[in-house]
Amino acid sequence: MLPEERVGIVGWGVYIPRWRLNLKEIAEIWGFSPEQPRELGVSEKSVAGIDEDAVTMGIEAARNALLRAGINPREIGAVWFGTESKPYAVKPSATIVAEAIGATPHAMATDWEFACRAASEAIRASIGVVASGLVKYTLVIGSDTAQANPGDVLEFTASSAATALIIGNRENSAAYFEASATYITDTPDFWRRDHSKYPLHGEAFTGEPSYFKHIVGAVKALFEKTGLKPEDFDYAVFHQPNGTFPLRVARMLGFPKEKVSPGLVTPYIGNSYNSSALIGLARVLELAKPGQRILLAPFGSGAGSDAYSIVVSDKIEERKYNAPTVDDYLKRKHVISYSLYAKYRGLIYRVE
Amino acid sequence: MSGGTVRIIIPPSWRTRIHRYRLTATKCRKCGVTLYPPASICRHCGSREIEQVELVNERARLLTWTVIYNVMEGFENRKPLIIGIVETVESKARILAPLTDVLPNELRQGMLMEPVVRRVREEGEAGLIHYGVAFRPVLVTETSKTS
Repeated sequence: MLPEERVGIVGWGVYIPRWRLNLKEIAEIWGFSPEQPRELGVSEKSVAGIDEDAVTMGIEAARNALLRAGINPREIGAVWFGTESKPYAVKPSATIVAEAIGATPHAMATDWEFACRAASEAIRASIGVVASGLVKYTLVIGSDTAQANPGDVLEFTASSAATALIIGNRENSAAYFEASATYITDTPDFWRRDHSKYPLHGEAFTGEPSYFKHIVGAVKALFEKTGLKPEDFDYAVFHQPNGTFPLRVARMLGFPKEKVSPGLVTPYIGNSYNSSALIGLARVLELAKPGQRILLAPFGSGAGSDAYSIVVSDKIEERKYNAPTVDDYLKRKHVISYSLYAKYRGLIYRVE
Repeated sequence: MSGGTVRIIIPPSWRTRIHRYRLTATKCRKCGVTLYPPASICRHCGSREIEQVELVNERARLLTWTVIYNVMEGFENRKPLIIGIVETVESKARILAPLTDVLPNELRQGMLMEPVVRRVREEGEAGLIHYGVAFRPVLVTETSKTS
């Protein structure tokens, strides 16, 4: 028995801010082709409000995960926060979340960094600490208010959302892990130096040598480890930096579009970085039936990917509606202007 | 991202964090009144027999609100700032708090609200961030997420 098989997702929860920006506005203001949003496969992106950040979004996602899990927050032995938009450079976001949900003082708590894959590394570590019996439950949060230099092509997709997973023993899980695999190399596709406000990226370098190579590497390693094939999966959820990459990597691996579309959330809200693949997983969990198998493959620049095989249990139905769903948050939207978005995200500010 | 030069004094900000994040209130064992912020003596009947309760999973009705255009220093980016009084549905606690995720013309007396944690203020770009409770219109009216 693999350690993964003893561990599962007990509860999940998401958060998407109410505010949306129509990407046509970015094309118009910065002189891109009007076709740019369509080529990226994204129409709108979610924008965190003036009183929101990765911590506030993470707290709401965590509370939703707790409502689904139905556990006492004091049983959470680790609060692990994956982000690349920490409100404090030094001072853990994880302790604020832990205090807000009532998991203090006997939980491990830290912030993880690996571009968009930080929370996924925390999922792999959670499998280890739960399977070993070191802790009963972990809370893993992927939350980002993604930054992009105004006028950079990244600005079309860099968005805000959060997803939280409570990971514990298989017996109490809505979906359990079967196996997992990782693929990492030192690849300079996207980075942000200390004190730089916005990330830089290697343009075309973000595709073939990064996203595609690492996801394919991780998924193939999972296939080798388990003997599973694309036909064995009902859904495939990949990191979704735009609306087209996930469909292309699916084709490369032999997954039809129908297995990918249900977990594609980026076309409606943009790329929420650490929440990008995980919010897709959340949407799939809200659609899935007991016994169905899900492939999950997050990716982070720098670069690395993890592949997980996840099987839905019969506890899924009783948990689905215990908290707002991804679709509830997708429906709650109000489109704002580029100028208001610029103020909310600190692109324009008053001189004090 | 609100700029400004609000001064955040660390000890009171730290001492009040639990009731700000989790909406912990006090309930009087004698007269049953729930008070927020929590108090060690019931303001209603003077009793010291009180217990702690968490209101974080309760919904609330909007009683009244005001839209502030002349904000105090440090809140300029948040104009217009909406502050309201809500009453929790079950425990009937009255809470004064910022209202968020809502436009002034969408507010209606009696509308159902729910508590969230938000950035209430911050000391410039380098100082502390003070998180606290705010209320927003309920996300879903029909769900098991009720009080």
